[in-house]
Amino acid sequence: MPTFYLDDNPIEFEPGEKVLAAALRSGFHIPHYCYHPALSIVATCRMCLVDVVDMGNGRPAPKLMTSCSMDPADGMKIETKNEKVKEARELVMEFLLVNHPLDCPICDQAGECTLQDFSFEYGSGSSEMEYSKRVYGWRDIGTFVMLERNRCIHCTRCHRFTTEVTGTHEFGTFNRSHQLTVDTFTDRPMTNKFQGNMADICPVGCITEREFRFKRRAWKLQKTNSICTHCSTGCNITVEQDQNTVFRLKPRENQEVNQWWMCDDGRVSLRQFNNKKNRIMQPMGRVQGTLVKASWEQIYEAIKDKVKQLAVKKDEVVAITDTHASNEELFLLKKLLHDVFSSEHVFFPLRLWAQPDSPNFIDTLITTDKSPNTAGAIALGIKGNEDDSALKQVLSEKTKLAFVLGNPLGKESEIYDLVSKADLIICIGTVLNEWAERADVLLPGSTPVEKEGTFINKNHRVQKINAAVKAPRHAKADWLILQELIQSLGKQSTFQSTSEIFNSLATTLETFQGLTFEDVGDLGCSLPAT
Amino acid sequence: MLQETLVLFKNVRKPGYKGNLASYKAEGGYSALKKALKMTPEEIVSIVKESNVRGRGGAGFPTGLKWSFMAKNTGKPSYLIVNADEGEPGTFKDREIMLKDPHMFLEGYMIGCYALGCHHGYIYVRGEFVPAMKQLQKAIDECYEAGLLGPSMWGSKFPLDMTIHPGAGAYVCGEETALLDSLEGKRGQPRTKPPFPAVAGFNGCPTSVNNVETITAVTSIINDGAEAFKELGTPNNSGTHLVSLSGHVNKPGVYELRMGVSLKDIIYDLGGGIKNGKKLKGVIPGGSSTPVLLPEEIDIPYDFDSLMKVKSMMGSSAIMVFDEDTDVVKLLHRMVRFYNHESCGQCTPCREGTHWSSMILRDFVYKQGSAAKLDRLKRVSGNILGATLCALGDACAMPILSFIEKYPEEFRAYFADA
Repeated sequence: MPTFYLDDNPIEFEPGEKVLAAALRSGFHIPHYCYHPALSIVATCRMCLVDVVDMGNGRPAPKLMTSCSMDPADGMKIETKNEKVKEARELVMEFLLVNHPLDCPICDQAGECTLQDFSFEYGSGSSEMEYSKRVYGWRDIGTFVMLERNRCIHCTRCHRFTTEVTGTHEFGTFNRSHQLTVDTFTDRPMTNKFQGNMADICPVGCITEREFRFKRRAWKLQKTNSICTHCSTGCNITVEQDQNTVFRLKPRENQEVNQWWMCDDGRVSLRQFNNKKNRIMQPMGRVQGTLVKASWEQIYEAIKDKVKQLAVKKDEVVAITDTHASNEELFLLKKLLHDVFSSEHVFFPLRLWAQPDSPNFIDTLITTDKSPNTAGAIALGIKGNEDDSALKQVLSEKTKLAFVLGNPLGKESEIYDLVSKADLIICIGTVLNEWAERADVLLPGSTPVEKEGTFINKNHRVQKINAAVKAPRHAKADWLILQELIQSLGKQSTFQSTSEIFNSLATTLETFQGLTFEDVGDLGCSLPAT
Repeated sequence: MLQETLVLFKNVRKPGYKGNLASYKAEGGYSALKKALKMTPEEIVSIVKESNVRGRGGAGFPTGLKWSFMAKNTGKPSYLIVNADEGEPGTFKDREIMLKDPHMFLEGYMIGCYALGCHHGYIYVRGEFVPAMKQLQKAIDECYEAGLLGPSMWGSKFPLDMTIHPGAGAYVCGEETALLDSLEGKRGQPRTKPPFPAVAGFNGCPTSVNNVETITAVTSIINDGAEAFKELGTPNNSGTHLVSLSGHVNKPGVYELRMGVSLKDIIYDLGGGIKNGKKLKGVIPGGSSTPVLLPEEIDIPYDFDSLMKVKSMMGSSAIMVFDEDTDVVKLLHRMVRFYNHESCGQCTPCREGTHWSSMILRDFVYKQGSAAKLDRLKRVSGNILGATLCALGDACAMPILSFIEKYPEEFRAYFADA
């Protein structure tokens, strides 16, 4: 493969690849603002200037070149640390700061701002600008992002994002010269469903998320790799929390799933994770018609006694789950019914789903299946059908015991009435919902940011969620609750972690073909074709 | 006494020449096109290449070479687009051609289109040139009527249409890639190169953008041959060129001259010397973006290479002369304000630097200058130079640096403590 040399480090490149892209791929950093791998190259920020001392033919380039737009040549020698480049960067930094308000103390971007970082790293630390700075008026551009135009460094990533990625064209650059600015067209608000990405790709604090605004300083946030559980795409994200509160979800690059993006609905799905008002904080059991709090031991003991008393037979038990449950939880739920009751009556609501048919990749990120693991439930062999006829069939006969995982039925369903006839309804969930009035036992589970687990997305990719925050004191991971139920009902289950469960299910189930938890990794892996 | 060499202006200078199709044909017009249609496109390109005609828009890039760079067999249409967005302050030669002899230009354009396989020509005319556009449109209409344009160009199998596209007043749209963006209906700002227009230009198709005067010269190159054209100039600077002479001279105007005549002669012979018998203070030799020359530096041949030797440029052959009464600081401030206003703003050094420079110069104009500010102005301009995407930043920085270098006393007079 052809090779060029960046500060004497050999970098191989593919034809068509630019110097900056090849350098970044190989782990070398060249500072840049306007370049973004997803967007067209405009070469306007001039921050990525490099000195080409040998163009591959023995001659140097006449002036400094922008590495983002330069085609490498075999044997090309590039310097990024010599005096010429250093000076050029200093000058670009000085120019960029001429009209920047330097309001870092009240700027949400501070701490993760490339303008700040590069100022420290490459700037001169002083400016001779002594005139008043350019000031723009404040503009309201919609409900999801804030526009603070004075901070703009005119990289036009936002403009290119709306033209090239979303294709919605509602954002543009206006005016010329030092009065150049970014704004929406004709005072209209932003309309696309991916505005949060504009805040992500904005290298400064010009565009910031409203949801996050003034909530927490960026450097206080602890980041955990995870995936978004808001729909069946499973965009790779980082969950960013401080003091056990999730402050934002940010997309994490994964070319196989979401590239660099995620949708705005996914971002605000964090609200449900911070919901303390409705949360089931402690195990609860129904005693003479009212739910009373109990300890885990009491609850397990009571369940054990009741099940014994009911003498539940094979066909008298049913489990209904939603597909927010991870593969491990579904596996243990199946195991619970199979081992304890020899029953296979595990159901989930299978709904038809669709995703927009669009030439823009980003639109396909939003699917109508708002649960992350439908494919996983199918892979685990859990019964699901569209009109719930099979479930109704089972429920129409005498059902004594029902396990409910999550909230499988939604707001209204005729199945509620059928299930309510059961003598014992055990629910594992996180919030008080429709089941609160029907359940006999409520067990506090964990939200997706509080537990580990694997999901299978719409494209049959196994991906992992990780625990970012701690669950409330008495809540437990759902898999642990299921395991303890199995144990208290007199059967063996001794998994120590989700990884053990996953490895075990992957060896038992043919569809997983012996994948291991390590294979899944941070970026997930495709399920072997069956 | 310096005389004009009439090639492009041979009809214009004829008394009673109307500039319409009939009078152009009476002067032997469209004979070059007839000749060209008998040749293959490759032959035309090689003749133009051989003539070594250099682009008259400012950069002086050899036109034949530019044409030969055009990507071939791409499956896409090719375009030859004429840059008539004559915006460089001091330049007014293309307007004269379009106003007074549009057919000579159109003939060259048709030859060029035939040579490059372009079936739809666009003429991007500066928006302010309304009379020139009217005249050009009239000439195009005449051509359609006479069958010179349309589904078959002059009976050949080559269909050719022509459209005039008025600009909207942006100086930067005279830069070829900004022009293409503007023509495509986008915001007119220069593109990054590569890809060069010869590979992906107008609508992503192979494109060549040429100046009006260059295209007009093609007519005479095909008519008289490459050798005849070369003989008109000096080696490496072939042909005649139109010089826009303006400022404090007695006879300003557009003159057609051989390449390489003395700059001094142009000012004192053709221009009739400095107005009101004043002394000369300086000459901007190629449009406002070129470095200024002092009176003692002007005794040089006026062509691309000679001006390069004195660290200036011939640019678009626009000579601006100013006399001893001129305040160069105010002149520079006005020029820098122009570049600040016309900067497209996309790239950092030009966007911030031109504004900063104009602010510093404003201080000087208000007698608030200082040695530190002068150094700062030099530093800011020096930082713009060579760091920008297109040449606009350089165009602002070069005059600043040359004015400071050549008239340091004038700047010192504007120091606050002077």
